[in-house]
Amino acid sequence: MIMKTAFALVATLTLASAALAVEVGKPAPDFTATDINGKTIHLSDYKGKIVVLESYNSDCPFCHNQYKTGAMQALQRDFAAKGVVWLLVNSVNPNNASHRTPAQARAEMAAEKMDVTAWIDDSSGTVGHLYDMKTTPDMYVINKDGILVYQGAIDNRPDPFHDPTKAQNYVSAALDALLAGKPVAVTETKPYGCSVKYAD
Amino acid sequence: MALTTHAAHTHVQLLLSADTARPGDTIWAGVDLKMDPDWHTYWKNPGEAGMATKIQWQLPPGVTAGDIQWPLPEKLPPAEVTTYGYSNEVMLLVPLKIAADLKPGMVLDLTAKVSWLECREECIPGSTTVAAQLHTGWKTEISADATTMDLWKSKVPQSGDRLKAQAWWEQPANGDRRPLIISGKFIGLLAGKLPTDFDFFPNANDNYEIQGTTEKSSIATTDSASRPPVFALRKTVQKFSGDWPKEISGVIVMQALGYRVGYEVKTPVADQAPPGVTLSPPSESSAGVSPAPPIPPKTPAAGTAALPLMLLYAFLGGLILNIMPCVLPVIALKILGFINHAQQKPGRVRTLGLVYAAGVLVSFLALAAVVIGVKAAGRHAGWGMQFGSPVFIVCLTTLIMLVALNLFGVFEVTLGGRTLSGAGQLASQPGAPGAFFNGILATALATPCTAPILATALGFAFLQNNPVIIVLIFLFVGFGLAAPYVVLSWNPAWLKFLPKPGAWMEKFKIVMGFPMLATAVWLFNLAYDYYGKSVLWLGIFLVIVALAAWIFGEFVQRGRSGKGIAIVIVLMLLIGGYAFALENQLHWRAPIVSASTPGSIADSPDGIDWQPWSPGAVTKAQTGGHPVLVDFTADWCVTCQVNKKIGIEVPSVREKLKAINAVTLVGDYTHFPDNITTELNRYGRAGVPLVLVYPKAVGAQPIVLPQILTPGIVMDALDRAAKQ
Repeated sequence: MIMKTAFALVATLTLASAALAVEVGKPAPDFTATDINGKTIHLSDYKGKIVVLESYNSDCPFCHNQYKTGAMQALQRDFAAKGVVWLLVNSVNPNNASHRTPAQARAEMAAEKMDVTAWIDDSSGTVGHLYDMKTTPDMYVINKDGILVYQGAIDNRPDPFHDPTKAQNYVSAALDALLAGKPVAVTETKPYGCSVKYAD
Repeated sequence: MALTTHAAHTHVQLLLSADTARPGDTIWAGVDLKMDPDWHTYWKNPGEAGMATKIQWQLPPGVTAGDIQWPLPEKLPPAEVTTYGYSNEVMLLVPLKIAADLKPGMVLDLTAKVSWLECREECIPGSTTVAAQLHTGWKTEISADATTMDLWKSKVPQSGDRLKAQAWWEQPANGDRRPLIISGKFIGLLAGKLPTDFDFFPNANDNYEIQGTTEKSSIATTDSASRPPVFALRKTVQKFSGDWPKEISGVIVMQALGYRVGYEVKTPVADQAPPGVTLSPPSESSAGVSPAPPIPPKTPAAGTAALPLMLLYAFLGGLILNIMPCVLPVIALKILGFINHAQQKPGRVRTLGLVYAAGVLVSFLALAAVVIGVKAAGRHAGWGMQFGSPVFIVCLTTLIMLVALNLFGVFEVTLGGRTLSGAGQLASQPGAPGAFFNGILATALATPCTAPILATALGFAFLQNNPVIIVLIFLFVGFGLAAPYVVLSWNPAWLKFLPKPGAWMEKFKIVMGFPMLATAVWLFNLAYDYYGKSVLWLGIFLVIVALAAWIFGEFVQRGRSGKGIAIVIVLMLLIGGYAFALENQLHWRAPIVSASTPGSIADSPDGIDWQPWSPGAVTKAQTGGHPVLVDFTADWCVTCQVNKKIGIEVPSVREKLKAINAVTLVGDYTHFPDNITTELNRYGRAGVPLVLVYPKAVGAQPIVLPQILTPGIVMDALDRAAKQ
């Protein structure tokens, strides 16, 4: 707990962000980060759009399962077409074998045929800690008013071998509801996966 | 017989407790996972990440597998994402029921598909199929592996019969988080000791998560049957969906001497604490403080609710003060007093006991009055603050030296001009004024020591605005300090354990003069802070007073003639010594207070590099990525000095501090700076010692160490701070 509070504080100080607690129904805290192309990204840049945050580590079998089956890319492609902003957050620290340099990340993005707005290089863990991301994948959906409407697991199958298309996908359900102007039914679930490989 | 597969970093094997099973019996299957060094697999509740190991059985008809029995796991780092799992090796145990209608002489092929997630820095899913053969026969014959399996069975949490656990919500929900208290009582011993550490590993639930961080809280209950070990754990529950849970289940883990045992518990969650239960503010936590109140609440919400408990603490603390190092010298006086009392009439003994108590209580009332006055004047009050007064120190040094001289027999204390006891008489007969004086002296010497239990009660008292409560708490400390003597004086029969009066008393009295002298030296050393090198004049004054005492004893009390001249000389010495040494040279009432030395304050060349504490220094060090150890201390605080010697300034702690690159700050409370008083009050303490360990993250709340330190406690806190 102290870690989370502490890191949230660090993040708050660094990012001069107003909100501390990330909570469904409350404004999602703003952040400033850099993507793998060196571009500066503010969450507030996307005000008026639906935003998805995906905590990502391709070496994590739970993430890998979503990508090797093509399920995650399909989700990204479908919702990009509907104007949804999709931000990948990679918080793996530089000393970990799963860390990706910007060049490696660009190659991986192309190889995996990802369709995301940006891949945020969060090797400092700033964004991850700010949002209290615990696992990869840990998903966040933010509505057009900047309110967090979903946080938790990608789907209801915490298993690195399942067929994602057969699972109940919480993120696509939340996005469909938002696009249809309906309330989000499942707003919070327990995230599953590998622990995020933060720097010590 | 057993088929073995090696996949990735985990080696899986299927073992059976029997080679041959009689139909109708239940045998055990063991799925043994051996992990490479640094790799681990997960418990049935993996925690905030990871995945529980799964076993899918393919069994012939007539064999049915029960639930997996999971040995007690460990809590795995990092603290920010707590997981529960196993390192090195684990054996998951499964009961296999062999149907009664199977025929003897059959060969059964048992197959299990085991899938797991193994993690080190990265995670890899593994899966394999393991198999074993079982024969049916007329009787069950155990296998060679049965002993090993029994060992693993002993590690499976037991039913919680010896544990009376209960749970309640501590506060209403704060968003999707809510603090939960899990409390209980354990009857029995672990490794021959009472368990020293408790934790709770929850069962998994999709609707909520009982988070990994456990904060320990000391618990007090009015239920007289609840003797320790009573534990209380504060956990944060995060809700994902549905209502707040009405019942929780998991494993209570307890530890003694490195030996760990788990007990299965399942308990309803009450909406409030059971009646009569009071939780102290968090004093110790395994990985930090709770999110809602980052700083321990100043006082338990309703001041009056906690009052009876605080009065109990005050009484117990007073009792303990009797054996604290600063009061110890006075014990010499008391022991002699007792032996003398024992010879007297019971009535008089009782009176003297009460008079002693009165002396203690009047002193405590005076202290309470000072505290109320200081608070009324808008300043911070602190225990032992009179040691911040040089005048007090000079008076007390002189007084203690005179007590020592008295014990050495240089002069006698007589009051009211009573005839002196003969030279052969062993000790002076302490009359009522003597007993009263003893009471005052005991109190005066007790103040620089804060007994462990007393800290809580006094911390409570100093934060009160109601004078009645302050007076009550101080009086109860006084009751505690005086209690043993009053009780003994009313039951003189108990004094018979003491040796008969005799010549030994004279020697004992002299021997006891030396701790008194040592106390005087210690006080003299405190005076140095105020007077610097001029403290020499205090020394000269003490020598003059000692000379006057000898002349008084030798010529006024025991002399045959010339008493008048002797009295004149004594008075001249005292007045002259006072006027010249104290007033003229020392300026004893208005010393120049030297500022504490800036820069580093290392005690010895290889000692810890102490930097002065300031509120900003902690944040500055944290910003630089350093964990911080803060020691609030004072020259007059004996407990602080002992802590530093035994628990902090030792090679193991020094090395640990270097290894984790910690910054060490010392806050000097000798002169009662207001900013330190404020800091102490923040942690509910009324005085030093207070030792804090801050993790390196900026703004992270510190781990508050207990009052009495050992290197182990300090190292443990540093380790935890470094990991966060």
